[in-house]
Amino acid sequence: MRSAISRSLLPLLTVMFAVMAVGTSRPAYAWWMYTPGDTVDNVGYKPEQPIPFSHKLHAGKNNIPCQYCHSAARRSSSAGIPPLNTCMGCHRLVATDKPNIKKVTEHYNNNDPIQWIKVHDLPDHVHFPHKIHVKDKADGGAGIECQQCHGKVQEMDVVEQVAPLQMGWCIGCHKERKAKLECVACHY
Amino acid sequence: MSTTREPNQNSETPFAPVPGSDDPRRGQEVFAPVGGPFEAPAKNVVSGPYYKGVEERLPELAQRPADPSSTEAKSGFNVDRRDLLKLFSASAVAGTTACVQRPVEKAIPFVNQPVDTWPGEPTHYATTCGDCSAGCGVMVKTREGRPTKLEGLPDHPVNAGSLCAVGQASLQALFHPERQQRPTIRFGSRVEASEWNDVFENFAGKLTSDKIGILTNGATGHRHGFFKEFLEKVGSNANRLYTFDSNSLAEATAEAHRLAYGLSAIPRADLSKAKVIVGVGADFLDVGTSLLYNTKGYTEAHAFRGPDKAKHVQFESFYTLTGARSDQRFPIPPGSETLVTLLLVNSLLKNPGVKGSAGARSQAQAVLSANSGLLNGAYENVGFTEANFDKLAEEMLTAQAVLLAGGSAFDENATTLQLAAILANELIGSYETVLFLQKDWLPAPVATGDLQRFLTDAKDLDVLLLIDVDPVFTLPPSWGVTELLQKIPTVAVLCDFPNESAPFAKYVLNTHHWLESWGDEQSVAGLWSVRQPSVRPTTDSRQAEEILMWVAAAAKKPLGYENYRAYLKKKWEDIRTVVGRTEVPAESYFDLVLQHGFDGRNSTQAVPDLSSNFSSSFRYVDTGRGGLRLVAPLDFRLRDGRHAWKPVLQEIPDALTTVTWDTWVALNPVTVAKLGLRKFDLVKVEGPAGSFEASVYPLPGLHPDAVVVPRGNGHTKQNGTIQGGNGINPLVAFGRAQDALTGAPVTYGQAVKITATGKFYELAQTQKHNDIANRKDIIQEIPLATAVANMGKTQDLDDVPNLYPAMPKQQHRWGMTIDLGKCTGCNACSVACSIENNVPQVGRGQVLLGRQMHWMQIDRYFSGPVEAPEVTFQPMLCQHCAQAPCEGVCPVFATSHDPEGINQMTYNRCIGTRYCANACPYKIRRFNWWTHRWNTVGARPQDRNPRALNPDVTVRTRGVMEKCTFCYQRVRDARHREKLNGIPVGQPGNVIKTACQQTCPADAITFGDLLDTTSQASQQRKDMRAYLALNGEHALKEYGLKTMPSVSYLAKVSLTAKPEHGHGGGHGEQQGGHGEQHGSQGEQKGGHEGQHGARQVKKAKKNG
Repeated sequence: MRSAISRSLLPLLTVMFAVMAVGTSRPAYAWWMYTPGDTVDNVGYKPEQPIPFSHKLHAGKNNIPCQYCHSAARRSSSAGIPPLNTCMGCHRLVATDKPNIKKVTEHYNNNDPIQWIKVHDLPDHVHFPHKIHVKDKADGGAGIECQQCHGKVQEMDVVEQVAPLQMGWCIGCHKERKAKLECVACHY
Repeated sequence: MSTTREPNQNSETPFAPVPGSDDPRRGQEVFAPVGGPFEAPAKNVVSGPYYKGVEERLPELAQRPADPSSTEAKSGFNVDRRDLLKLFSASAVAGTTACVQRPVEKAIPFVNQPVDTWPGEPTHYATTCGDCSAGCGVMVKTREGRPTKLEGLPDHPVNAGSLCAVGQASLQALFHPERQQRPTIRFGSRVEASEWNDVFENFAGKLTSDKIGILTNGATGHRHGFFKEFLEKVGSNANRLYTFDSNSLAEATAEAHRLAYGLSAIPRADLSKAKVIVGVGADFLDVGTSLLYNTKGYTEAHAFRGPDKAKHVQFESFYTLTGARSDQRFPIPPGSETLVTLLLVNSLLKNPGVKGSAGARSQAQAVLSANSGLLNGAYENVGFTEANFDKLAEEMLTAQAVLLAGGSAFDENATTLQLAAILANELIGSYETVLFLQKDWLPAPVATGDLQRFLTDAKDLDVLLLIDVDPVFTLPPSWGVTELLQKIPTVAVLCDFPNESAPFAKYVLNTHHWLESWGDEQSVAGLWSVRQPSVRPTTDSRQAEEILMWVAAAAKKPLGYENYRAYLKKKWEDIRTVVGRTEVPAESYFDLVLQHGFDGRNSTQAVPDLSSNFSSSFRYVDTGRGGLRLVAPLDFRLRDGRHAWKPVLQEIPDALTTVTWDTWVALNPVTVAKLGLRKFDLVKVEGPAGSFEASVYPLPGLHPDAVVVPRGNGHTKQNGTIQGGNGINPLVAFGRAQDALTGAPVTYGQAVKITATGKFYELAQTQKHNDIANRKDIIQEIPLATAVANMGKTQDLDDVPNLYPAMPKQQHRWGMTIDLGKCTGCNACSVACSIENNVPQVGRGQVLLGRQMHWMQIDRYFSGPVEAPEVTFQPMLCQHCAQAPCEGVCPVFATSHDPEGINQMTYNRCIGTRYCANACPYKIRRFNWWTHRWNTVGARPQDRNPRALNPDVTVRTRGVMEKCTFCYQRVRDARHREKLNGIPVGQPGNVIKTACQQTCPADAITFGDLLDTTSQASQQRKDMRAYLALNGEHALKEYGLKTMPSVSYLAKVSLTAKPEHGHGGGHGEQQGGHGEQHGSQGEQKGGHEGQHGARQVKKAKKNG
């Protein structure tokens, strides 16, 4: 039986080593990291969005607070991408002649949601509730600025991932702030 | 009758359940330390009072197949070890080359986000369950527009927040991938998927005749009224609406009350007011008329709270959950329920304390004298002496008593039995004290005699609509429904899942599931519950009522309503007036109702005296006595088969046999031995009309004449991958016979013949682990006197000497208490857990390998003689041990301990060594042998429609261990509420209820903070009844495995004394040899007796 196992495992091991050898142009373990970006931890992932929405213009130049549009962040686990009616709240009147705004208006009129590409994507076995992190300390939350995890989005034309969003990075902050460190806090 | 097999060929295997009597090791605890019954090695089994299968008592019934070729394939997945390795390596190669990048995920927001709806936060809808006519309120939790969990509506008067197993499973029905996607029309032998408009046009062309009929299921709301309106509008007449429900208990009860009082209604049984509950073949806790309402009341009366605990006596021929829960249970011959009730009436009449009006007494006397021939020799027949009946009658007259009769298998006398029960209840004065007919009674969901009317009329019908009924499957084939349907020119089947009647229909129209529908039910007279859609239709289906509306419109005979909602809204305007909500403006009343779920007021009706010609309506059909009798009760999970397509219901085990995914022939072990059969022998059961084959399951406690084959399974292979080909339908054996008074089909008591086929077919049982070896710390029962004496005293189960350093003091310690005295074994918790926690169903093949995944399982233990045992149910789940054996053995720290008491399981760390499952003494860790996905594993695919999953819980993949998390997602939500809303966890408004606790109709499960001295869980843990499973006898300072679970059990309070060792006498003559064996064990164990004094009442001196 032992020989049968090793015979069967041989092709597997061969391929594993081969892939690891080929993968040396990236970090050696990149073949199992499964990230959509080019790096192991997905930092720098900067996908092109269907509408080139500029956070720099909206949140930076026009000073619109993050949670004006991402209003679910303080109410829900999910920060939420704003619905089209939030966009249309201003763009019914503002910059209606711009081609991209025309596109947004078209989506809105056709009742056709825009399919944004997720930049910050945690694995399905991790549960990160936004509301408890972003709410003010006075309201029982942790009072963490959005920028702490998402970077200076207000300076980005195209949003990119700046924090690694990996467990060590989460734990670092949790330790610093004496937050819950048990596995079950995020994994259940 | 002959078996060709050699007996027990493989009994030499190390896994033989009990060594033979000649085994020198028998009864010797070679490895056991002195005085350590808790450490006795399993192979030196010393039988205790509890057993899980009859093979522990009668080893000769436990067989192995004599000829391997006659054994059916064990599992659909037959891969040899070497192939499997090749397969794995191939998949690993594929994985390494293809999955370098994870897929790009999209985030798709709303276009117009509804007000107060936030992605990631649930929205709740109040609605009414549509799975039976009990009309329980349901709260649907939806996330991003799709239901993720159903709960009972907390303030609904019928179910008060609980939900049964069937209701919990509705979610799988909604998202079932095999639901018909589009309507079909049959052209000759060709079936074509069609567009709805074409269907309406085509169907409307058939409405030229005035002979249009509708056969539909039982309902109490406005549905039947609407159907009548449709029939009248299209030129037929309202009499052509026929109602049929396989559970004809409601029909029989309503008809009996019509004959007795002129009121076609069902009395509401408020069992909380009863002190003595007598059930005669009653199944009020498993199928019954309103099982959640009954369970709530029963628990209130029957649960231990002091010396006045109610007593439940049950007479029945087969096992129901109700009988399993009773304090005293007497097996009676199948079909003798009416006799038993009449004998009891006789004893009641003789008693000077008899209650009831003079009229009732004279009617009772008249019935008895008219049936005196019947009562001749009846005491011997039912096996219960006159003196015993007198004693029971005395008890029933001194305390507030009630008699409930009739279960879900019906013979010719089903309605007569209800008439006898009315007499008994009149004589014990239970009307308007326990049984309420005058105030808030239950309306009858079906009209009496409709089935017979249908069979007479159907021959002349031109168009027949079958709405949510499946007469081909739910009526015995001997009734000739198939032939009848073939004669009707146009048959339309309207159903949410294709059924067995569909092949005979021209139109098969897929209707909404009830979670997508509008509707209402009148659960109790005057109490109206509304049903509203909580999700957009998941398939291209239409609501049955709206199909009729559009067909009528296409036929130019419009009903005049915009849609069914408009119809309901109009009807509810009348309810507003009746209920008296004049302060609410008419236009906003319906919205208010939708928000609340129900509305109503108390109703009263005048109940006249017992009819003076009552005794002449009492008609008893003698069905003969003795011989094997076929019993086909409704399965409490699958009912008449209408729920068989939901995998979670197929996979929860039957409470008594623990069999899944199959049909079995349950026989009394004595009968099995007499017939020369053994467990899992495939037998042929021949009834008057036909025969079927199924495996024998020797079930203790059945009457020796009863051949019990549950209904529900036996669908044809074409009928979906979940139900198709599972088991058999016992109705094929039944000859055409009907209830003498209502015409309902007979499914009980017909004589059958059993012959061995010589084949062996193993049933997939979930509870087949070995003997519990006389451990005292798994199941505990204490007598009432001890429980009463211990009231007010407390104990500290956590006060155990410990060498480990103490855990740092925390804010909470989560724990659970389960009251074994309340658990009815209904399995609602198990289904609720599976739905809440994305627990997969694995199918029959994997269950046979012991790979079922239930996080919450209901174990069933018998005690006492095989002929009349007592049953105790024990919900078993991860015990969240403070000193967990699983945690130390994990090489990768995938399972570890949360300081707040939760044994946490980190799926992404798990590498699947399964060391933890080996270390777990409770055997509740489950391993994912596969990634359970639709249509991937073995012969039995699993439903893992991603839309039916709870987004708050990780979905586990192959190679990962999983187990109960105490619904941590709910704990988390409560902690967030505490922080953000300022309500401390455990206070009103922020109470954590685990999924199992929330749905439990008996309130047997309590979850809470053990450090909070005011929490119910911590108080119950201090109760003297509390014990920790496998943790010895705390009072005796024996700590067993010392795992210190956070789950504690409250011992069942027993009215009957339990012998400590052995089997409580009664083994019957044929097992004398075993009696002797166990006797010697008894002596062997005698030395330990002193240790168990605290809990055991009676030290039974052995039969030896």
